[in-house]
Amino acid sequence: MRIKQYGQWKTANLKQRFFYWSAAILVGGGLLLSLLSFWNTRRLLMADAMTKSEVILREVEAIRSYVKEELRPKMYELHGRDKFIIEAMSTTYISTNIMSRSAESMPQYSYRRVSLNPHNPGNLADPFEDEMFNWFEEDPTRMFWQGIVKKNGASFFVSMVPDYFEVSCIRCHGKAEDAPKELIARYGLDGGFRFKAGDLAGINSVAIPVSDSLREAWQGSLVLFALTLGGSFFLLWLLTLLFQRLVVERLAVMLSLVNHREPGKKSMFNGGDEIDVLHDSFGALGSYVRSARKGASLQPNFIGPYVVESPIAAGAISWIYQGHVAKTKEKVSLKIGFDDVLQNPLYHACLKTELGLFEKLSHPCLPEVKERVGDDLILEEVRGRSLIHLLDKGPLGEQLLLYVFSQLCDLVASFHAAGVVHHDLRPHILMLDEQGKLNLIDMGLATVDQQQDPIMAAGLGPQGDLLYLAPEQIRGERGDPRSDIYALGVLLYFSATGQLPFSEERKTEQQWLRHKKLIKKGDISRGSLSESFEQIAYRALSYEAEKRYQWVEDMWKELGALQVNGVCGRTIENNRGHSDDGGT
Amino acid sequence: MRLMVFSDIHGNLEALQSVLADAAQRNVDRSICLGDLVGYGPNPNECVSLIRSLNKCRCLAGNHDAAIFWGMSPYGMTGAARKSIFWTMEQLTPENKNYLQGLPDRLDILNMTFVHANPYNPRGWNYVLDRKYALRSFAATACRNLFIGHSHRPMVITRKNILSIDLLEVSGSRNIAVKDTKRRIVNCGSVGQPRDADPRACYLVVDLKKEVFEYYRVEYDLEKTVKAIRSAGLPALLGRRLMNGT
Ligand SMILES: [Fe+2]
Ligand SMILES: [Fe+2]
Repeated sequence: MRIKQYGQWKTANLKQRFFYWSAAILVGGGLLLSLLSFWNTRRLLMADAMTKSEVILREVEAIRSYVKEELRPKMYELHGRDKFIIEAMSTTYISTNIMSRSAESMPQYSYRRVSLNPHNPGNLADPFEDEMFNWFEEDPTRMFWQGIVKKNGASFFVSMVPDYFEVSCIRCHGKAEDAPKELIARYGLDGGFRFKAGDLAGINSVAIPVSDSLREAWQGSLVLFALTLGGSFFLLWLLTLLFQRLVVERLAVMLSLVNHREPGKKSMFNGGDEIDVLHDSFGALGSYVRSARKGASLQPNFIGPYVVESPIAAGAISWIYQGHVAKTKEKVSLKIGFDDVLQNPLYHACLKTELGLFEKLSHPCLPEVKERVGDDLILEEVRGRSLIHLLDKGPLGEQLLLYVFSQLCDLVASFHAAGVVHHDLRPHILMLDEQGKLNLIDMGLATVDQQQDPIMAAGLGPQGDLLYLAPEQIRGERGDPRSDIYALGVLLYFSATGQLPFSEERKTEQQWLRHKKLIKKGDISRGSLSESFEQIAYRALSYEAEKRYQWVEDMWKELGALQVNGVCGRTIENNRGHSDDGGT
Repeated sequence: MRLMVFSDIHGNLEALQSVLADAAQRNVDRSICLGDLVGYGPNPNECVSLIRSLNKCRCLAGNHDAAIFWGMSPYGMTGAARKSIFWTMEQLTPENKNYLQGLPDRLDILNMTFVHANPYNPRGWNYVLDRKYALRSFAATACRNLFIGHSHRPMVITRKNILSIDLLEVSGSRNIAVKDTKRRIVNCGSVGQPRDADPRACYLVVDLKKEVFEYYRVEYDLEKTVKAIRSAGLPALLGRRLMNGT
């Protein structure tokens, strides 16, 4: 299966497979449903016919036994043994006569009493009934038969009961010379004789036409099939739409990240659907993790005309190295992606975004880009030490703290104004030189609002240091500018006290969330901070994004106004002015 | 947070400079430009470069910006507009053209949405000036405040209920305090070619904390722009429109 070009993302055939399989399942299900419904309707129809015909046959039985046991003996008593009045003494004559009368009011039922050798030629068995005679005669224990019989193009539900001669019947059905003369006068000597007691006399049968009902049942299930088919396709359309939104589009984004081709290079994936391709990609990530654990990464010595010296700090997906220009000895910093991380195309996409941001954004607190060599950036020299080093030795002084935050807030405001969210503000990537000048050296997890976010699209879960992440980021959502404000709150607290606003021993994400929800004012600072400073830090640390500062500028305005009262509630001796270059 | 919202500069450098100088005194934290940086006016390059150099300023694409790189056809425009677009195409530097091409159509920030013309069909460039299109715009967004430009007429449209609106044309410099939580469409007017019979440049500052829309009208050197239009060989009608504010 070839991966084909589809819009701006490459996509394989997950959607088609989903569609065809769902269509097959839905159509098959619809077919099964309508067959089941037809079968059930037919079963109910049969049960109904069975009950009705049984009633009729029982009735006939009752008439015949009444004639045999009550009427005929009474007639003999009144008129003598020689007299035979057919209308009052013949079971067959009376029962067929009564049933043909009731058939007039119920034309849908037809009752027949047939024989292979009847007195009345109208009661002669037809070929099917002839067969049934044989069937009953084969085994005298067979007392009942029911089934569907086709006659003249119509279907009937037929119930049949065999009837055997008793001794009292033999007078009329035995030897012809013994038979009453009234009988012979009416039917002649042709049929109905030479039987003995115990012979199969005839079959009583009731036929109920079922063609119409069967046709209705069949039509009903056809309608049902059509309806389920229509409904299924509507459902299928909805499901495909949902599937496209929830799965295919997001997969396509991830796929475009893992499958982007360098010119001249062949794509590393060329078979299977999206999931297969991603499976391969995550396989590559696994091999990265294994090799990284072994410490397989090598430090480069030269990049173009630059000599790489020792690393200064680690970002999310890259190192910052010291270095210099080989010829002129001019000092520079180099941003070099973690060799093995970049084998994962998702992180590679993040690095590309990061490099682009360094090139696009300009701010006093961002080192200037001198040159881009492939996926490496040559930056102006970054001096000083990271904020985490400084905080290891204790809190920042008030003056320095406010100076650092004036720069940091302005930097973050510039990011947000440009539609960039940093997502990973922490003291390890903030460098301070001797003059207190701040430099941010990493934007590895930053996003731009007009660009696809690979981390979100891949559903990679929380990225970054859980200590500094906002609750919504820990929950796996991709944060907005207010998540950066949360990180600023942590940094602010950390810088003022030298301690984090919560202890570090929490391990799982759930524990972190619970902990970040519970922090209370004064928990850890124990009164070492001024009321108004703590107010600012805790507003930035609000669990719900809506309760935080919505804008970095608002946070800085309150923080900047503190200079008079101070961070710790003491007056500041030499209040150094800071550069606030906010505003347009 | 004080947010400056301005739009429709249309290559009028004098107006843009005066507006920025005025805004510099008003404690603005960030600014958003709703597009139409070029077209009509005589200084497209200078205006685009000035906007690009602004700190904490975000810019959207307008129809005239889109016309520069044929994102919409200049042949659909009126005669004077079309002529000035072709003239501007020749004037703009490649970097400035690239900048215009990279501008987004829409921004959503917290409970605010920003577009040049309308949110329901951003590249259809309909004017939102009446009930029908205002209601359609409200239906197409979920934000509380929608900021638009394009019609060059400062205006605040308040949604009263699902069927009716309140339309307020804003004249002169004026503060409009918001006292309820109703949804609004706010047109920030035009910097470089006002069309509400007031030739002064118009811009808006939104004070998000106090919930006030502050409209400002700024005088600028009209004569200079009109002269520049003439010497650039652009239609004289464009100069007259600036003088009359139409
Ligand atoms: Fe315009
Ligand atoms: Fe416009």
